[in-house]
Amino acid sequence: MTGRDTLYDVMVIGAGFAGMAASLFAARHGLNVVQTGATGGIDFSTGFIDLMGVHPVEDGKRWGNPWAAIEAVVRDCPDHPYARLSKDEIAESINCFTEFLTEQGLEYVGHTDRNICSLTPAGTVKRTYRVPETAWNGSLALERKAPTLLVDFHGLKGVSGAQIVETQKQHWPGVKAVRVAFPGGRGELYPEHMAWALADPAVQQKMMAEVLPHAEDIEYIGFPAVLGLNDPGTVVRHLAELSGKRIFEIPTIPPSIAGPRLRAVFDRGLPGLGVRTLSQKLVTGVTQRSDGGFDFQVGSGPATVSISAKKAILATGRFFGKGLRADREKVVEPIFDVPVVQPAQRDAWHNPAFFAKQGHPINRAGVEVDARLRPIGPSGEPLHDTLFAAGAILAHHDWMRMKCGAGLAIATAFRAVKELMR
Amino acid sequence: MNILQTTVLIVGGGATGTGLARDLALRGVSCLLAERSDFNAGASGGNHGLLHSGARYVASDMEAAVECRDEGQLLKAMAPQCIEDTGGLFVAVEGDDEQYVADFEGMCRKSDIPARALDRSEAFECEPLLSDKLIAAYAVDDAAIDPFMLSLDNMAHALDLGARVLRNTRVVRFLRENGHIRQTIFLDETSGETFAVEAEIVVNATGAWAGIVAALAGADIHILYSSGSLLVTQDRLARQVVNRLRKASDADILVPGGTVSVLGTTSVTIDSPDLCRPTVAEADRIVEDAQAMMPVLATTRYIRAYSGVRPLVLTGESGDARSVSRGFSLIDHARDAVDNFITITGGKLTTFRLMAEKTADLVCAKLKVDAPCLTRTEPLPASTMGRWTEPGLAPKDWVRNRDEDDLILCECEMVSRNTVDAVIAAMPGMRGKSMLKAIGLRSRVGKGPCQGGFCGLRITGHLYDQGHVSGEQGLSELSSFVERRWRGFSPILWGLPMVQADLQEALYCGVLDMELDHNTDDLTCEDDE
Amino acid sequence: MTFFDIGLSVALVICVAGVGFRVARWRGKWASPESSSASQWCFGVASLKALVLDVLLLARTGRTSAFRWLAHALVFFGFMGLLLFHALDETVTAFFFPAYESTLDPWQFLRNLLGLMTLVGLALMAFRRLWEKRLRDLTRFQDWAALLVIGGIILSGFFLEASKIISPAVFDRMVEAYFIPETDRDVTALKAFWSHEYGVVFSVPYPSDAETLGFGASLNEDSCVDCHADTGTAFVSRSLATALGPVAFAMNTSRADQVFWYLHVLCCFVALAAIPFGKFFHPVTTPVNLVVRQGRRDDPEDMLPSDGGRGMGMDACTRCGECSVHCSVAPAFSVLGNAMILPSEKLMALRQIHAGASLSEATLTAFSEGSRLCTECLRCTEICPAGINLQDLWIASKAQLVSQAPSPNDLMRNKTPSQRARVFDDLCASSVVPAVTGLADDSTSYWACVQCTTCTSVCPVVAVSENPSGDLDLLPQQIMNLLRMGLKEETLGARMVWSCTTCYKCQEHCPQNIRVADVLYELRNTVAARIRDGGVRCSKKGESQ
Repeated sequence: MTGRDTLYDVMVIGAGFAGMAASLFAARHGLNVVQTGATGGIDFSTGFIDLMGVHPVEDGKRWGNPWAAIEAVVRDCPDHPYARLSKDEIAESINCFTEFLTEQGLEYVGHTDRNICSLTPAGTVKRTYRVPETAWNGSLALERKAPTLLVDFHGLKGVSGAQIVETQKQHWPGVKAVRVAFPGGRGELYPEHMAWALADPAVQQKMMAEVLPHAEDIEYIGFPAVLGLNDPGTVVRHLAELSGKRIFEIPTIPPSIAGPRLRAVFDRGLPGLGVRTLSQKLVTGVTQRSDGGFDFQVGSGPATVSISAKKAILATGRFFGKGLRADREKVVEPIFDVPVVQPAQRDAWHNPAFFAKQGHPINRAGVEVDARLRPIGPSGEPLHDTLFAAGAILAHHDWMRMKCGAGLAIATAFRAVKELMR
Repeated sequence: MNILQTTVLIVGGGATGTGLARDLALRGVSCLLAERSDFNAGASGGNHGLLHSGARYVASDMEAAVECRDEGQLLKAMAPQCIEDTGGLFVAVEGDDEQYVADFEGMCRKSDIPARALDRSEAFECEPLLSDKLIAAYAVDDAAIDPFMLSLDNMAHALDLGARVLRNTRVVRFLRENGHIRQTIFLDETSGETFAVEAEIVVNATGAWAGIVAALAGADIHILYSSGSLLVTQDRLARQVVNRLRKASDADILVPGGTVSVLGTTSVTIDSPDLCRPTVAEADRIVEDAQAMMPVLATTRYIRAYSGVRPLVLTGESGDARSVSRGFSLIDHARDAVDNFITITGGKLTTFRLMAEKTADLVCAKLKVDAPCLTRTEPLPASTMGRWTEPGLAPKDWVRNRDEDDLILCECEMVSRNTVDAVIAAMPGMRGKSMLKAIGLRSRVGKGPCQGGFCGLRITGHLYDQGHVSGEQGLSELSSFVERRWRGFSPILWGLPMVQADLQEALYCGVLDMELDHNTDDLTCEDDE
Repeated sequence: MTFFDIGLSVALVICVAGVGFRVARWRGKWASPESSSASQWCFGVASLKALVLDVLLLARTGRTSAFRWLAHALVFFGFMGLLLFHALDETVTAFFFPAYESTLDPWQFLRNLLGLMTLVGLALMAFRRLWEKRLRDLTRFQDWAALLVIGGIILSGFFLEASKIISPAVFDRMVEAYFIPETDRDVTALKAFWSHEYGVVFSVPYPSDAETLGFGASLNEDSCVDCHADTGTAFVSRSLATALGPVAFAMNTSRADQVFWYLHVLCCFVALAAIPFGKFFHPVTTPVNLVVRQGRRDDPEDMLPSDGGRGMGMDACTRCGECSVHCSVAPAFSVLGNAMILPSEKLMALRQIHAGASLSEATLTAFSEGSRLCTECLRCTEICPAGINLQDLWIASKAQLVSQAPSPNDLMRNKTPSQRARVFDDLCASSVVPAVTGLADDSTSYWACVQCTTCTSVCPVVAVSENPSGDLDLLPQQIMNLLRMGLKEETLGARMVWSCTTCYKCQEHCPQNIRVADVLYELRNTVAARIRDGGVRCSKKGESQ
C-alpha cells in the first residue's frame, strides 16, 4: 500500500474511541493517515456512546439532557476538555462518527438532545447518548416498563437475568427472566463464539424454540449481547420475525461482543479510507524531525517498523490504554514525556473508598493542552507545534463518573484533526 | 428477646477463639462462639502466616522463643494440612548490625533453637533471589501456616464435637449481677435484632478489641494498638521463609505460601483497632526496606496489601510497640471483681494453641471440670470448611475432577461454580452482610490479580441465580466486597496494578454506574432536579 | 598401463557401478499403498521446455534468488564448458575444430575464463553457506566436499598451467621436439623471447635487449606460434605465474608442473568416482528429474511409477538448502534444534528410509517430530530448484511413521483427562521457584494479565468446539492463570495445548501483549520433549527439559 519511506500527514497513536475517531476524521479530510495502538478501550466498551451523564459527581446528579449537562460542567469546571469545544462541534463529531458506523452496517440510534436509559449487565440503569440499534428496544421496554423476558444461558458466566430482574422488579414488575440451554453448546460459553453460531438461522430458530414457551404475554425479549458478530441487525430482525416480539440486547461484562463489533467496523472501514493501521503495535520510540514532524519506532524486536509523519495525535488513553504510566513516585506519559498534571503524592491519588462519589483525584490527572489541544509544558507553551492530544489522556475530567468517555474522545479527536489541518 | 444457654461463651472468632472452642469441646465442655463479623477478622487474618521457629525472638524474648519452638513443632505434627513446612532462612546483608549477626548462633543455641550457618553458595542455592550483598545466612525451622484454614478447621472440629457458632453478632453489653456476668447481649448485624446469651463463663478472645469488650464488662485492660501492614506478591519468590537477620524491624520477613509470598510488616501505633488499614506510605516503606534483602522486591508485581492490628497488652507504663512483650496475656477478671470473665489476648499465631490450652485450663478450673487438654495429642482434622483456602487446590480440583457443566467463576484462582457452592454449603447458615466476603474468606476468590473485579460480578450473578440474594442486596454486597478488596488494593497502585485498577473502575463506574445510587425510580431520563 | 589409464578406469568403474546402484535403489520400499500404475513416460514439448528453461537456463534456480542463480550459473556454465571442450577435448572439441590446440586461443583464454567463472561461482556458494545462519547450521561434509573437489580441479588446473608456463623443463622438451636450432644463439634468443614474453623462468637470466628479443620473436614466429599463443591470454594462469615469481625457481627444480598434473588428474578422478555419492550425483539426477517432471510441481500422470519417481526425486536434491530457508516451521528449528524439522535434512533421512536402512531410534524420533511439525504448506515444494515433489514425500512418509514412532499427541489423547493431568503431576513433587527456562516458567510473562479472557474469546479452536472446556480441558486464559500460579504441570496434559493452531489471534488481541500463543507452543514442545526423553521427567531445578 504505502511504502516504507512515506511521510504521512498524521500519525494517530491509539486505537480506542479517540484514536479510531481521529483516524476516521483525518482520513475523511483527505489526509494520509497511519494509526497504531493495541487492543484497548474500544474492545472493552459496551458499545454505548456516553456524551455526558452526571454532574457534579459529588452529588451523583444525573442529567437527562446531555447538552444541559455539558453546559453545567463547562460552567463549573472551566478546565474540562468540553470547555474547549462548541456544542455544534461536539454534535457534528458524534453524528459523523455514528454515520460512519451506520454506513459500515452497525446502526446507532438515540435522541438529539436527550439521554437514553439502558440496562447494564449488573442490573443497574445507565444513561447514555447513543446505543447500537440492537439495544434500542431495551431502552423502550425499560421506559415503558413493558412485559419483558430476559434470557440468559447455561454456561455464559457473568450474565444473570435473575440479577437484573431482582434489582429492577421493584420499579418494573413486568420483567422476568429465564435461563435456557444454548443450542449445541455445553460447559463454558463465550460471547464471541455464541455470536458466530447465531449467524446461522438454524441456530436462531432452535434458540427461539427454547425461549418462546416462556414468552407468553411478553412484548419484549432481551438477550445478552451475543446476537451475531458482524451483522447483529439482521439477527435481531430474524429473531423478531421468528417470535413476533421486540428483541434487544444487553451488553455483557467484558470482553463483551459490543466492543469487538465496533472494532471490527474500524478494522474494515479505515483501510478503505486509506488509513494504514499498524494494529497491536505500540510506539516504542520517537524523535522529532528537523521539519517539525516525527520519526516513530513502532513495535519491538525484529517486527519494528519506522514511521515518519508530519504531525501526530496522542490518543493513547489512560493507564489501561498505556497512555499514562504510574510509577511509584509519579505518573508519566511514556511516549513524548509530556508533563502530566497530577496530585503531588501517591497517597493523594485515590480515595479510601473505591465507590467514592467524588471520584479519585488521579482520574483528573492527565495531559494539559492549550486551546488548540496541543500538550503544553510547565511554561504554558505547546511542547511541539505538531503534536495534538485527544481523548481520555486529557486532564480535568473523570469520564468514568461523569459518563462522558466516548463523547469526549470523539469530540476532542474531531477538534484535534481540525486544529491539525490549520 | 431470644435467650441462648451455654456453659462457656467465647467472644471472638480468631485463632485463639476457635482454638479455645475446639479445646473446650474436646474436654467435653459445651461452648458457644460469637464473632462480630467473620473468622480471623482481626490479627489472626492480618499476619504473615508464619509459623515461627522461635529464632526471631532469641535476642528479645527467650521465653517467647522457646514457646514458639515447642508450639511450632507440635503444630507441624497436629495440623499438617494447614502448614507448608518450607524451612526458613535468616539473612544479613552489608550494613546490617554485625554484632547481632555474630551473636545470633549463640543465642539460638541458648534457647535450643536449631540454626545452621550456610555459606554463600548454599544460601543462593536455596534462594537464588537473595541480594548479592549477603553477609550471613542461617537455616532455621520456620514454616508457613494458613491461618484461615487453621481457624476454620478448629471451628469445624469444635462444631462436630457439639460446639455452636454465631457470626455477625456484636457484643452490645454485659448484664452483671454481683460481680457476675448473667447475660451477654448481642446484636445480630444481619437482622438488626438483639439477643442474650447466658453462660457460666465468658471468655473475651477478641484480640485487639479485648480492651473495648472488657470495658463493657467493667474491666480494665490497657492495650496498645500496633497496626502492621503486609504486601502480597504475585509470585512465590522464595522457597523458604526469609527473615532479615537483625533486630526486629519493618519489612524484614518474606513468607511464601502456595503460589504467592507475603512481605512485611510495619508497626504503626493507631488509636483504635477499627482504624487499621494499609496505607500508601507503609507499602512504600516495605518495598524500599525489603529490597536490601531481595532486590527483586523492588520490581515485582504486588497484588495487594493488608494489615492486622497486634494487641500489645501494657502491663506497666506505656511504651514503644516493639519493645512490649509479644507473649500473651491471660487475665482472670476476678481481679476486677467480675468472677466469670476471662480475657485472653496478645501472643502470636504460632502460640494460639498454647493460649487456648491455658485459657481452657483456667476455664475448667473455674468450672471445676477435671479434663485434660487433648490438643497436644489429638490431630486437627481437615475440614470442608477450611480446605478451599489452600492456594492451588481449586485449579487442581478443576483439572482432575471436572464436572462437565461446571464453570470457572474466579479466573485468577480458578475457583469454579461447584467450588463456590461447596463453600456456601459448608458455611453454617449465617450470611451476614456479605456472602461474597464470606466466600472470599473461605476460598481464594478475590485474592488474585483482578482483586474481585471480574469474579465479584460473576459470583454475584451466581448468587442471584441460586436465590441466595434478592432485591438489591446482591449489588450492595458486591459494592461492599469491592470496597473491602479496595482497602488492600489502593496502597499498591503503581505499575501493572494501576492498569488493573483502571480497568476495574472503568467497569464498575464507567460501565455499570455502581457508584451511583441505583435505588431510584427515575426512568424518565429527564433531569433530576 | 599408465597412472592415467588406471586411475580413469578405476574412477569409471566406481562411477558406473555406483550410478547403477543408486538408480536401482530408486525403486525403494514404501509402506504407502500407492501402486505403480504409470505408463511409459515420453519426451514431449513440456520436457523440452523444462530442459531448456530449468536445466540449461536454471530458471527454477533463478526463482530463489539472483545471487544463487548467479553462483550456480557460473559454476554450471564454467564447469560444463571446461568438461566439454577441455576435459573431453579429444572427442568433442577436436571433432568440431580439427585445428584445435589447447595452447592456442580462444581455447587458452576460454579455459581461463571458464575456470575463473567456476571459481567465482564456488566462492559465492561458499560465502552463501557461511553467511546465512540457518544454512551454515545445515551444511554438511558432503556440501563442503563437493565445493572442495570442484575447487580442487580448477585450482590445480590453474596451478598446473602456471607451473607449465614458468617451467624451463617444459620449454626444453618442446624445443627438443619442435625446434631445430641452427646456432646456440638461436636457442638463447628464443629463450630470451619466451622468458620475456611468455613468462618462462630460467635459472639464468637471458639478455633482454631489443635485438635479441626481435630475433627471438622471429624464431618464435617460425616455429612456435602455430601451437602456442602468447600465454598472456591465459590471464589467470599467467598472472598466477607472475605472482609465483619468488618461488618459481624452487618450483622448476622440483618439477611442480608434474606434481600439479598428478594433482589435477587425481582431482578429476575423485570427482568422477564421487558422482554416485551424496550431492555429487545431482548433476546427473537433477536434470533428469526436471525433464521427467516437465517443470510441474506434481507428478505427471505418465511419469515413472511414483515409487521410482520419489527415489529419483530424492536423489535430485542439490542440497542447496532453499527449502529449509523458506520452510514455514523453520522457527521451530531455532527453538528445538531438531534439524529434522527442516525439509533438506528430513530428505536425507528419508532417503535412508527409502533405501530400507533402519534408522536409530533417536533419528526416527527426531524425524517423526519433524514430520509432525510440518504444516504441508507447500513452500518447500514451490521453491525447490530441482523440482522435487517434496510435499508428496512428506505425505507419503507420514503414514509409515505413525506405526514406527507414535506421536506425543496421540499418546496424550489416548489418555482420559484425569490421567493426562496426573501424567505430569504425580511423578513430580511440585517444585516451587522453578528454574526459569522459558516463557512458561517465567512468571513475568503473565504479570500484565488483567483477566479479561480476551484470549479465549477470540480463539478459533475454542469457537469450533461445542463444549470448549470439555473438549479442550483448559482454555487459553486458564492455562495462563495456571502458569502464573506456577502450576505448569497441570497445564501440560490439556488438549488445548495440542489443539492450538498457532494462529496467534490470542496473542495479537491481548490488550497486555502477553505471548499467549508462544507459551502454548512452548508447552507443546515441552511435552513432546519429555515424551521423547523416554517418559515423563520432572522440571526440577537444573534439569533440562
